[in-house]
Amino acid sequence: MDDVSFDLYPGEPLGIVGESGCGKTVTSLSILRLVPEPPGHVLPGSLIEFEGRNLLALPAPELRAVRGNQIAMIFQEPMTSLNPVFTVGDQIAEAAIIHQHVSRAAARARAIEMLRLVGIPDPDERVDHYPHQLSGGMRQRVMIAMALVCHPKVLIADEPTTALDVTIQAQILELLDRLQHELGMAVLLITHDLGVVAGHADRVVVMYAGRVVETAPTEALFERPTHPYTAGLLAAVPRIDAPRTRLHAIPGQVPAATAWPPGCRFHPRCPYAWEKCAAQEPPLLDIGMGHTARCWLVTEPERRVPRR
Amino acid sequence: MTLVEVRDLVKHYAGERSWFGLGRAQAPVRAVDGVSFEIPPGRTLGLVGESGSGKTTVGRTILRLQEPTSGKVLFDGNDVFGLDAARLRALRRRMQIVFQDPYSSLNPRMTVEDTLREPLEIHRLKGAVAALLDEVGLDAAFAKRYPHELSGGQRQRVGIARALSVEPQFVVCDEPVSALDVSVQAQVLNLLADLQAKRRLTYLFIAHDLAVVRHIADDVAVMYLGKIVERAPAAEIYAQPRHPYTRALLSAVPEPNPRATSRRIVLAGDIPSPAHPPSGCPFHPRCPHPKKSERCGTEAPPLRPITPGHLAACHFAEEPM
Repeated sequence: MDDVSFDLYPGEPLGIVGESGCGKTVTSLSILRLVPEPPGHVLPGSLIEFEGRNLLALPAPELRAVRGNQIAMIFQEPMTSLNPVFTVGDQIAEAAIIHQHVSRAAARARAIEMLRLVGIPDPDERVDHYPHQLSGGMRQRVMIAMALVCHPKVLIADEPTTALDVTIQAQILELLDRLQHELGMAVLLITHDLGVVAGHADRVVVMYAGRVVETAPTEALFERPTHPYTAGLLAAVPRIDAPRTRLHAIPGQVPAATAWPPGCRFHPRCPYAWEKCAAQEPPLLDIGMGHTARCWLVTEPERRVPRR
Repeated sequence: MTLVEVRDLVKHYAGERSWFGLGRAQAPVRAVDGVSFEIPPGRTLGLVGESGSGKTTVGRTILRLQEPTSGKVLFDGNDVFGLDAARLRALRRRMQIVFQDPYSSLNPRMTVEDTLREPLEIHRLKGAVAALLDEVGLDAAFAKRYPHELSGGQRQRVGIARALSVEPQFVVCDEPVSALDVSVQAQVLNLLADLQAKRRLTYLFIAHDLAVVRHIADDVAVMYLGKIVERAPAAEIYAQPRHPYTRALLSAVPEPNPRATSRRIVLAGDIPSPAHPPSGCPFHPRCPHPKKSERCGTEAPPLRPITPGHLAACHFAEEPM
């Protein structure tokens, strides 16, 4: 991914949406400098500012004081993100002991409190369980408890419900909503599912091929999708409230990260593309009301006529 | 008239034994527990459920990729479970499967052409690989490629071409789009619909996603813990779901509409293990129905018609929720 910029405000639920290979996960990992270098490298001039400090310039000990403490993260696959040989209580308590220097007994009490907060029944017993003794939904709750134990200001949730069943997904999303409100925490919700951001984010960043292609308040994005990729993606989602119809498909596929097309990276798949799109990449253009799109149609709206 | 008829299908897996196989056997896993349905030719039945519901086991057992515990499957009048090996092989040509994971279901050492030619040779059929590729929307140049050179969507197209190569009448589509990105998922769903219209195919479309099923199925059956809890024509089940589980499942689908004023039913608890299904109605511990009573914990509700053609297994299917 390159040249990705966005702001996250205190207490805000922000969604990042994109398909596989769009760079949304790399973006989230970069915030906490979790991208291995090499092969990854952050270009000079990049800035990840957290409460006035540039995380990219922070020395390792100070970064560690932020990571997991003020900015916490949960991952897609709760089974591989939990350590199978430690009890869930130990794993939740670890961050509190490291970051907040509380005693073991106090950390254990905090772990139980956290398990209760994330809605795990019988937290006094569950605290001594191992990950394999829990269901997928329970494991994701434990992951959330681990992330929240230090009362972070920012929670990065990378596809937190993708591996879960629909009814369990609904539980976890409701839990994240509740925690975000109760704890006043900013949530960066990364997902491929437009349905998930529609219900759980106030603002949305759409990514395609390593670029931010559109940002908007959630309602504006769904009512007036401006980038043809956003519009195409929305039309491709099977709707439960629509009668049986042919789905709109975006032709072709996401280009490989080693072979981004020149100009606008979406132009080979775009129904409106003209010469300019292949020659020159548009910047993120302002549409007003906090809505931006990386598309020349913003300056030449009369071109919004499909060529095929 | 039906092409596929499934009667009281049961598939239990023997419980694991502790102590390196010497201990007492655990309770058997009742993966499929008395499932019945029929699919008329040229139609699609959507079989929906969450993990552990038994939907994949149903698909595989119908094709006898797994042996059933009991029950009967009639394919165009043939008793699938009563056939000897030779006749089963002949029948296999007429019923095929497309798997969920296009990464593990193609042999990494075989080119696309080899993959597509193999079933033709086994069944001693003549068929052109180029024509097959064209039919699934792939360029003829793909014939010489290996799976690792293809994207997920392209692999799934190869998986579909392989199933179609022997000109089947019936295809089990086992979560064929759930591993794909949204824009590619739409391409593959449209392709499956086009092929069905062109070849008069009959589908059993297995999925966990009710929104996907809406776009392909004529009829929908919802499974929970090895049983069908509701079955109805698609339009009917989406407009008027009768089983509380179906209602919860429908309300849990995240809608791409920030103004959706849905009354979301968030179910409490986890899906129980099929080795230890609850007594009575398998859904009763999680059921949000206001009329839920003691009866639900003791008496399993049969799958019964609520309106003509609409079946539900709930004591209170007629009551509003």
